[in-house]
Amino acid sequence: MNEEKKDHKKEGFEPKIVGFLCNWCSYAGADLAGTSRIQYPPNVRIIRVMCSGSVDSMYILRALLEGADGVFVGGCHPGDCHYIDGNYKARRRMVLLENILGTLGLEKERVWLRWISASEGQKFADTMKEMTEAIQKLGPNPIAKHWNL
Amino acid sequence: MEDEKKMTNKVLKVNDNDVVKSTNEFLRQLLASGKIQALLVQQSTSSKKVAFPVLISDSKKLQADIAAPVLPVSTASIVSKITKVQPPAKPIGVVMRPCQIRALIELVKLNQASLSNIVIIGVDCPGTFPINTYSEFPEKLTPTQFLLETLTKHSDEAKKYLRSSCKICKDPIPTHADIVLGFYGADIQKEIIVEAHSDVGKDLVKELPLEDEKEGKGREKAVKEIREEKNKKRAAFLKEKEEIKGIEKIAEFFDTCVNCHNCRQACPICYCKECLFDSSVFDAEAYKFIRKANVKGLFKMPPDALLFQLGRMNHMILSCVECGLCEQACPNNIPLMDVFIPVAENAQKEFDYYPGKDTAEKIPMIVYREDEFLEVGEK
Repeated sequence: MNEEKKDHKKEGFEPKIVGFLCNWCSYAGADLAGTSRIQYPPNVRIIRVMCSGSVDSMYILRALLEGADGVFVGGCHPGDCHYIDGNYKARRRMVLLENILGTLGLEKERVWLRWISASEGQKFADTMKEMTEAIQKLGPNPIAKHWNL
Repeated sequence: MEDEKKMTNKVLKVNDNDVVKSTNEFLRQLLASGKIQALLVQQSTSSKKVAFPVLISDSKKLQADIAAPVLPVSTASIVSKITKVQPPAKPIGVVMRPCQIRALIELVKLNQASLSNIVIIGVDCPGTFPINTYSEFPEKLTPTQFLLETLTKHSDEAKKYLRSSCKICKDPIPTHADIVLGFYGADIQKEIIVEAHSDVGKDLVKELPLEDEKEGKGREKAVKEIREEKNKKRAAFLKEKEEIKGIEKIAEFFDTCVNCHNCRQACPICYCKECLFDSSVFDAEAYKFIRKANVKGLFKMPPDALLFQLGRMNHMILSCVECGLCEQACPNNIPLMDVFIPVAENAQKEFDYYPGKDTAEKIPMIVYREDEFLEVGEK
């Protein structure tokens, strides 16, 4: 397709990313990035959730169907979950979701699951930069223009 | 699971070439023996338009038609209804098709049904016809007679009328049953195979007038053949439907969905008392609808029809037993299995999970291993 050849970044495409961050680690990590005045792209819209394991894939699907270009889910490092095993379950859900994304013809690279602890402000900023650039390369979410869903 | 070595094989004589009458008599004697207090079995309704499951305690009133090729509702859901609040104190026999047994096992894992005092009588399933064309059959034969006749003749005539999920059935032979009534490998004009797979099953059939099987080999071979045949068809189906992928094709596929949720109602796995999609989660102020319209310029109403399909898929697909009741329930004839079976196949493979195989196996979404799927998440 022609669209793939376009350089979306040069065209000034600013992806919209919905970020679900767990209260105990990733959200605190994002907070630390802010209080430490670390700069990162403003493309992510953060939603605080109690645990990465509480993010039903439904929320992710809805964000994508409504036109979000990417979805980020941040949880505690494996073994560190405040609820013991929520992040392991989140990981299994992600595997299942990838199958459904495949049916929709969406790149699985649009949905990221990363482990970011409360002390990793720099890592959060770096990850956001990395993801924004990756989605810029992928281009806009092809679903966004469909109204008959 | 059944222990094949301990299994006892008997045959039930079929009199006057009448499978329905002979199996009915078998079940009547089973019920009259007093070892089970009731029987859940399908029986043709007085209109003859359909056969419905009935819960019957009076053996004199039994007019079971275990071969009636129709599945109006999920038998697994019915067993769930009977056992969920409190399982029976004395055994109940439930006559079920293989797909419904698999669904029941899934419901047990989901804590929505109990197998306590439930005696599963599995029936070989040659397939079912869609409920809305079922009554159109009788020219001279009833649907049951038509189906049984094609079975005896080994003809393919009935196959074209089968529901699409039956054409590519995952496994038409009952597993996890206490007693199996087998058509495959038997000359059904003369006899039907009766296998007892558990102690309960053996105890139930031991006093019934059954004959010992003369040669057991025929059954094994026939079972293997039919499984291979269905597997081959299923593989071809999966290959054929591979192309229904991508937002254009998926949007087109679900285009006629009116978001009625009938598929969810018919699905044995969708057990939630209050579905997320019936809740107030999606209620919103007018300005939010306008805002949504502003994003794309316009959007189809009612909203979230595709989200419902994908959300439901995400919630139940790992337990999907491919009974096809969702498809039968669709008022607009969306061939749901075309999309659901390929996703089920891939997702279940991913977790090495076979729904309905074993009650001891846990639903994949509630268990995990620390060292799995390491490529998901941190790269």
